[in-house]
Amino acid sequence: MLKGIGVSSGIGIGKVLLIEEHSLTYTPKQITDTQAEKKRFNDAVELFCENTEKQAEALKVSAGAKEAEIMLGHISIVKDPFLIGEVDKLIDGGQCAEASFETMCDMFIQIFSAADDDVTKQRAADVRDVKSGVLSILLGISEVRLSDAPPETVLCAKELTPSMIAEIKKENIVGIITETGSTTSHSAILARVLEIPAVMSAADIMTAAKNGDTVIIDGGKGDVILSPDEAQLADYTQRREKLLQERRELEKFREKPTASADGTVYELVCNIGKPEDAAKALEFDGEGVGLFRTEFLFMDKTSVPTEEEQFTEYKKAAVMLKGKPLIIRTLDIGGDKDIPYLGLAKEENPFMGFRAIRYCLKNRELFKTQLRAILRASAFGNVSIMFPLITCVDEVREGKALVEELKAQLRSEGVDFDENIKVGIMTETAASGIIADLLAAESDFFSIGTNDLTGYTMAADRGNSDVSYLYSALQPSVLRMIKSIIEAGRSRGIPVGMCGEAAADPMMIPLLISFGLTEFSVSAPSVLRVRKCISTWTKEKADEAAAKAMSFATQKEVYDYLASLTG
Amino acid sequence: MVSKVLTVPNAQGFHMRPASVFSTAMGKYPCNVTIKFNGNSYNAKSTLNLIAACMKCGSVIELICDGDQENEALAEGAKMIEDGFGE
Repeated sequence: MLKGIGVSSGIGIGKVLLIEEHSLTYTPKQITDTQAEKKRFNDAVELFCENTEKQAEALKVSAGAKEAEIMLGHISIVKDPFLIGEVDKLIDGGQCAEASFETMCDMFIQIFSAADDDVTKQRAADVRDVKSGVLSILLGISEVRLSDAPPETVLCAKELTPSMIAEIKKENIVGIITETGSTTSHSAILARVLEIPAVMSAADIMTAAKNGDTVIIDGGKGDVILSPDEAQLADYTQRREKLLQERRELEKFREKPTASADGTVYELVCNIGKPEDAAKALEFDGEGVGLFRTEFLFMDKTSVPTEEEQFTEYKKAAVMLKGKPLIIRTLDIGGDKDIPYLGLAKEENPFMGFRAIRYCLKNRELFKTQLRAILRASAFGNVSIMFPLITCVDEVREGKALVEELKAQLRSEGVDFDENIKVGIMTETAASGIIADLLAAESDFFSIGTNDLTGYTMAADRGNSDVSYLYSALQPSVLRMIKSIIEAGRSRGIPVGMCGEAAADPMMIPLLISFGLTEFSVSAPSVLRVRKCISTWTKEKADEAAAKAMSFATQKEVYDYLASLTG
Repeated sequence: MVSKVLTVPNAQGFHMRPASVFSTAMGKYPCNVTIKFNGNSYNAKSTLNLIAACMKCGSVIELICDGDQENEALAEGAKMIEDGFGE
């Protein structure tokens, strides 16, 4: 068995097709008619661009516009004025087009490969791709036509270039194995988009495998089994069936409403950390965004992002979601999330300290900038504001007063925003659970953050192995807290969501249905699984399960009972 | 000759897309456009040169325009960098 890096999960069983690299060798010639040689080079570049545009068009259909855009980047490489200028100079000096172009490409491949960051290193692959494309044209060699690969093919290559992947017919290719590359390689990203199992950095695959060999690939684990025996073949065929079966089962829930077995409809939205992830949420069939963490905008920066910068990002997400809900959480820094330029003091006890809403209410200008940016973005979609780490009513009142102040400001400036924008809070502290009824009177919605709520209720750090046994959302204390938050929201008639990990936990879901949660906010890849899970429960069955679960005195009893119900 | 010292503000620095957008924009101007970074000069009309320079978020660079329309080129180039290439 060969071991590589699993970069695109799934199991593939098929026949090997080796993508041999063409030997792009030639004998360098001395050129006398340099004008004709330059024209030959130019024609090759033009043809290359034409081909690339076609490939990008095909890729747009199979993998989306963003992937196609990267392909088009190859055109800007080959048409680079510096590159072309230098190639022309070399041709003027009497070198043939092949040698001139190769010299310049190799120079950049060498520079990019030597860079100390991965992103630049990956660009070497792009230049290599461009180099072989143009050289093939100059030498009159036709490139491998992957579009002709028969069904059940496992592609094996030293390196799979984006232009090769652009030619793949996804119904015929069941796996991809390469000798180089890793999870961040462009071809790895494409493999995931196309849902083709892929293993990279599988050393020696090109010498170990022969065309037509049977091969098993496990893109999750990174395993490659060449010429498997019958037992292995049977085992993996069964595993693949099971995976495909599960996937098919889940796919039935795509574009369906999220509803319980007796027809109550719930909102199933996603947690995201970047505006681009809003597209991912939609791709996985999320019904909007229940938590947009804004910390990313402040990290990897040297200073506080301006209102304009923030507005652009929030607007991007709002527009992408086309009227679907987008709940933006205001800055939640401090605790374990430091931002160097804010100059936060080191604290004895950061989780009990100066963080999130506490920091923002003390640093008004920074907070106002963010709120103004969110308000402005609200003109472009269904945007709500959410304050993190609320522990008392004063914080909600102060925050909302600021929102009103900024609304008045925008109104007087004639800037558009949503007059009816909702302002809600995260209920993630023990204090907020205990006074949930008081907070409900001041808030448009609740979102339960179970990760912090569990930690603060149990006074236990999940990262500390000596006390992490206490950290469980199934502790009776945490369950009572969740129940009373949901009930407080319901009796006040405001929606209550959950954006912690517990919202996607099959053991927790019946309890949440019984308590009356209205919105589940989960990671994008969990959407279909959670929708399926919700569909299996009626209110009656969920009530029964919840009553029983809440009758136990220990976490272990709760766990054992719920585990026996959900398998 | 005109020049301006700038700090690269966007998280990914001059990666593929910004480098390509920036060099294309600078290519429209007749003057020479160079970027000085870490003691080296790079042709700012060349995507490949810009990528090779490895300018990251927080890198301090000098944008230099020399020749016809140097003021216009500097204004547009500086604005693009300051805006983080719209990212």
